[in-house]
Amino acid sequence: MELDQCLEHLYKGQLLPEITIQALCFKLKEMLVKESNVIHISTPVTVVGDMHGQFHDMLEMFKIGGRIPDTNYLFLGDYVDRGLYSVETITLLVTLKLRYPNRIHLLRGNHESRQITQSYGFYTECLNKYGPDSRVWQYLTDMFDYLVLCCIIDDEIFCVHGGLSPNVQTIDQIRIIDRFREIPHDGAMADLVWSDPEENNGDNSAGLVSGRNSFDSQQDFLLDTSQHFQVSPRGAGYTFGKSVVEKFLRMNDMSRIYRAHQLCNEGYQIYFGGLVTTVWSAPNYCYRCGNNASILELYSKDDYYFNVFGEAPETISYLNNPSVPAGTGGGSSITKVVSDYFEGDNIAGDSLSEIGTNIDSNLQSRDIDVFSDTYQAQSASGRRVEYFL
Amino acid sequence: MDQVPPVTRGRQVRSLPLPHRCNNPRNPACAHCGTVIIPSPAAIMPLEDTPSISVGSWTIESRKRPILDTPALSQWESEHLPGLGALPEMIFGGNYVRIRCDLDESKHWDIEFNALDALREVPTEDSGVRVSCASDWLRSKHRRCDGAPPQIAKQYDWTYTTRYRGTVTGCPLVADTTAELPLAMLAKPDPILFFDDMVLYEDELGDNGASMYSCKVRVMPERLLLLARFFLRVDDVLLRVQDTRLYVEFAQNRVVREWKRYEADYNEVFKRHRGGVPPHRDLRALLRDSNWVVDHLPIVERTCETIQL
Repeated sequence: MELDQCLEHLYKGQLLPEITIQALCFKLKEMLVKESNVIHISTPVTVVGDMHGQFHDMLEMFKIGGRIPDTNYLFLGDYVDRGLYSVETITLLVTLKLRYPNRIHLLRGNHESRQITQSYGFYTECLNKYGPDSRVWQYLTDMFDYLVLCCIIDDEIFCVHGGLSPNVQTIDQIRIIDRFREIPHDGAMADLVWSDPEENNGDNSAGLVSGRNSFDSQQDFLLDTSQHFQVSPRGAGYTFGKSVVEKFLRMNDMSRIYRAHQLCNEGYQIYFGGLVTTVWSAPNYCYRCGNNASILELYSKDDYYFNVFGEAPETISYLNNPSVPAGTGGGSSITKVVSDYFEGDNIAGDSLSEIGTNIDSNLQSRDIDVFSDTYQAQSASGRRVEYFL
Repeated sequence: MDQVPPVTRGRQVRSLPLPHRCNNPRNPACAHCGTVIIPSPAAIMPLEDTPSISVGSWTIESRKRPILDTPALSQWESEHLPGLGALPEMIFGGNYVRIRCDLDESKHWDIEFNALDALREVPTEDSGVRVSCASDWLRSKHRRCDGAPPQIAKQYDWTYTTRYRGTVTGCPLVADTTAELPLAMLAKPDPILFFDDMVLYEDELGDNGASMYSCKVRVMPERLLLLARFFLRVDDVLLRVQDTRLYVEFAQNRVVREWKRYEADYNEVFKRHRGGVPPHRDLRALLRDSNWVVDHLPIVERTCETIQL
């Protein structure tokens, strides 16, 4: 099966057969195994944050930011979980990476993991779409182990999914991590995909220090969030402050850090006067947050633009379609399974021309008059009311 | 209900001979059945729904807005909730459900559910709950730091567990443990005139689970039921549900508020039900569903209050 043919189906929102996904994952692993943990690319490039299975928003994003191969993309991870179309999202990205290896780069996020995807929806979605006996989830999660961890743009912009680690002073220390594995609970690899920046909160740190009359400077030093790595009250995970960032940038001759991992209403958030920036690319996250998303268009290392966008119109029509619940971010309730697309067909065959149903086909007509009696009656009768107790 | 007119087709919008009325023309009543349409059929940006309905002396109103933006978040953090080390990732600070009873011209009683008041009841001390990998994680840090314990950033209940049961203006409710919700009345298939469902705040606990306070309300011609639910899942550690049910009998101006807390060890529940789930459903998906979880947890605490207005 040709990659272009796969792309054609994927852009229409159709699922690929299991055997094709197996082959795609195998090929991608072959390609990624040769890559270092840290890849180097140059501008122009567009940096994309978390997508979380919001397939229609990703298509919208390609419309806004330009299609591959016309635009170069760097994705910062978290392709799956939470949204209802993780399978479509990750297979499209995998296929694009194989078709245009120098035009798109995929970093690993903390959701590109077996353990996390079992708790946040991707595993359930694979079962729902491909059936309980399929191995699609295994193929894709095995492939996740090969994704690279970090990227450096123009030798001075450091990009990673989460943030910094106390175990990593220099980028060379990232290069020697054995990354071909499930994301561990601790250590440098975990911190890179999990940690968060913590903006200096003057009031709080002052309060902590002045609350004690005799303090030893060591303790105060450790307590100041702006200075150091701190442990989250959850008992695991780090937050890093400004001085950690400054030290890392200085030691490695970098100018700033781009990362994803945290939702922000405006689509991006700037920390420490621009030394760290969060890029978030899932609009109306979980179909209910109403937030904006953005992609960061880097024309050269000092010339960039945050292209902010909202939810795709397709997603909105899904929400008004009562057969698709605006769920709780949990399991996908899409009941269409792969056999719907391959009825009576030998899916092992190379030809996919029979693939018929388009998920979007019933939503192609955009000319809905929301003020019409018909629409309103339909909307009123289709509203989710619930005789809860 | 007898007064509901039969469904008619066509353009005419009838005057509604109904005892209730819709208060917000942007969230109009359905021309066919008279119920308030949520979400609003009018396209408005930014996303906003403020539907409202009145039945007798009672008015029910809700609002849905996007999550707080960065300036509002920092204001909440520094001014409103200084004790919380970090706020939940998703705060629907503009959302509320408000239930109001106009007793006479100058006097009214109301109860509102909103995110700020809910978060004000989150304890600002350590809850003692830790994520599943915490002990391994901390131990490995101890080793590396030569025995100096790593610093915990700020102490607060990071699970955002709240005992919030709504903000009352006017006479407080009175504890009455013998009171019960009239389930027979609620089981009747009365038409639902108004239904809304919203999240007040939500956090993914750094992908270690979920914490969510949500609220839904259904208004029938003679009564209403509101369910405000706090749901906590710490993966491999803890499941907790805290339900507040508010029942109003409109004609009698009687309010019953019941609060129940359900809790169990995550792994115990997981083990107990691992065998009982059909192979095409996966148990972890069920554990994300608060409706399933609440049916499989023991009640550990219950209170009930009433008020006669």
